Amino acid sequence: MRFDLDLPAWKWPFYVARHPFEGYDDLRWKKGYNMKVAWVIVALFFIISVAQAQLTGFLFNNTYVKVFNIIPYFSSSVILFVTWVVGNWSLCTLFDGEGTMKNIFCVSAYALVPYLITQVICIIASNFLLRTESGFIFFFQYLGIAWSVVLMISAMKTVHQYSIPKTLVAILFTIVAMVIILFLAVLLLTLFQNVFVFGYSIYTELMYRFSI
Amino acid sequence: MKKLAAFVCTAAVAGSSLAVIASADEPYTGYNYDWWGDPIPSQNGFVVEKTVSGENLGVGTLSEPSDMYIDKENNLFYIADSKNNRLVVTNESFDPEATYVIDTLTYGESFPESKSTIKKTTFSLPTGIYARTDNDGNTLIYVADSGNQRVVCFNMDLEIEMEYVRPSSDVYDAQVTFNPKKVTVDSAFNVYVVVPSITQGTVQFSADGTFNGYYGANRVNATAEVIAQQFWKLIYTREQIIKMRKNVAIEISNIDIDEEGFIYTVTESRTSDTDILKKLNPAGTNIFTNLGYDQYTFGDYAQRYYKGKNYTSAICDVDVDENGNIYLLDFATGRVFQYTDECDLLFIFGGKGTQKGTFTSVSAVEAHNGKVYVSDSRKNNITIFQQTEFGGIVQNAIELFNEGLYDEAKQPWEEVLRRDGNYWLAYIGLGNAYLNQGDYATALDYFYRNSRGGYNRAFKSFRIEFIRANFTWMLIIVLVIILGLIVLSAVRKRKRKNKQGGNN
Repeated sequence: MRFDLDLPAWKWPFYVARHPFEGYDDLRWKKGYNMKVAWVIVALFFIISVAQAQLTGFLFNNTYVKVFNIIPYFSSSVILFVTWVVGNWSLCTLFDGEGTMKNIFCVSAYALVPYLITQVICIIASNFLLRTESGFIFFFQYLGIAWSVVLMISAMKTVHQYSIPKTLVAILFTIVAMVIILFLAVLLLTLFQNVFVFGYSIYTELMYRFSI
Repeated sequence: MKKLAAFVCTAAVAGSSLAVIASADEPYTGYNYDWWGDPIPSQNGFVVEKTVSGENLGVGTLSEPSDMYIDKENNLFYIADSKNNRLVVTNESFDPEATYVIDTLTYGESFPESKSTIKKTTFSLPTGIYARTDNDGNTLIYVADSGNQRVVCFNMDLEIEMEYVRPSSDVYDAQVTFNPKKVTVDSAFNVYVVVPSITQGTVQFSADGTFNGYYGANRVNATAEVIAQQFWKLIYTREQIIKMRKNVAIEISNIDIDEEGFIYTVTESRTSDTDILKKLNPAGTNIFTNLGYDQYTFGDYAQRYYKGKNYTSAICDVDVDENGNIYLLDFATGRVFQYTDECDLLFIFGGKGTQKGTFTSVSAVEAHNGKVYVSDSRKNNITIFQQTEFGGIVQNAIELFNEGLYDEAKQPWEEVLRRDGNYWLAYIGLGNAYLNQGDYATALDYFYRNSRGGYNRAFKSFRIEFIRANFTWMLIIVLVIILGLIVLSAVRKRKRKNKQGGNN
């Protein structure tokens, strides 16, 4: 651990990305959590996932461009991330995790940085490479994902002060919790829709009755 | 005001009557598939010229005509009139004068006593027909005589030259019947017989009647069940494997041979999409596999899902014309799909219905000289489609393109786009023309969202050209960046040193 660290808030994500094993300890010690930076990263996550669909070169792009709907991109980036944070927090507070919601949000967002950087590299490179050179793009994609996964494990381990096996189990159950949360959300949405339709049909029925 | 209203009324009536005439033109709407696999409206490449029934030919009603063959050298048109147990021979203009019926054959002298004493034989449910002329100018007609369980080969004097019957060889499964459905013959007079009960491919005979084995088997459709069985086979004992449900390939349903001697087979299946169309070399391997065409969807793209299975087009016949175009006949929708020799979809025409140009139960397709003949086994007639002007322009462009005359093909392709801006093959043709001219940027524009392979080729050349033209600038930029980084790090180091010096 380096105690002489004195980094501005925006440099912390890059510092932890360069120090996957001790970076989060430093972050925790120095209380480098910053919600503004975290929100910027999440926003970039959303923007880059849209950019990946729209700006990837034709040779590597399989997006159906005739219809573009931004909602799926929003839900597969921002909503997914928020669900991860909520799921992880609600699980780990029950299992002696030390992280607060804010801490989990920050460290998780910081862990996304390598993935986002490699995605940008891939989007740019896909406009210059041929089909036969697709290996470079896949290499960077997998590298980014692997790096972010390692960072995420390290982040969870540090923020909750868990051992490594406990971290892995917690991540597994977080995913289960996410599935449950999303299921309940969809259920709730459908129910509210039904209630709305019910109310609206009563309203139209009444309007018909009284208009005559 | 009244005048104006009257004028509007007449205009509307005139307009609507015009529209009626226009829409009554064809009973089907031409369409094509774009790069995304979405159906888009297109101009018709083929329109109905006329229909011909048995009465028109003067031979009485046809009964379930199930196959046709055009003998291009002798200008003869053969119809297998199955339920009437006869062949109808006419010419391509369907002239009643030139039409005659074949229903009785005689055995030649080469046959043993037992057969040549009977002398005469008739057909029983002839379902397939083929004819080939040898170097001496003798035409041999081959008929898949399915009711008599033989393929019979006879000359123009109606004398039987050879009978291909059920092989007695050990290779032929004793429990399998031999009911020939379709037949084709290659230039060495090897006979290929499609037998519906055989899944190992077509039955191949040499000219003298010996059974050569099976030719061109289909692959098994890789469903989840098949993959699971492969896994269990690793674990099971031999007795258990024998008891397992066997997964066999779907049988070949029809066959054709092109002028270069390649054999095309189709498989009629609504649930499988493996090996629907194959182009076989003499060794029996599908040459579309190496080109990637075996991954294409033949027939309609749309699938219906019902009770755990996908239902698609059922391709029941194939024909290859003199230009190498492939015509597939879809039994499920009654449509004909015209493809280039590279399996690019050109036109779709026909359909289900009772009007002229639509069908109830299609059975065979033949194409020759810009005309497509489709027989219907329930309407008992033959519909003749004539290539439209638009179809002719497309055909012309493709021929020029296949000969390597890309620049000459440019003009017809541009004409195609003027008439139908959705015709995506024209964009690929124009892209290739510009690529050939060395105008890579324009080629990229034409290939964009039309052809990934073309775009890749054009982009490769474009990139090399771009780097060559701008190499000096790129080198300068890279050098400046490197220099800048070196200077920056030096400045930083000095700053740090100064700081430390200041602290001390």
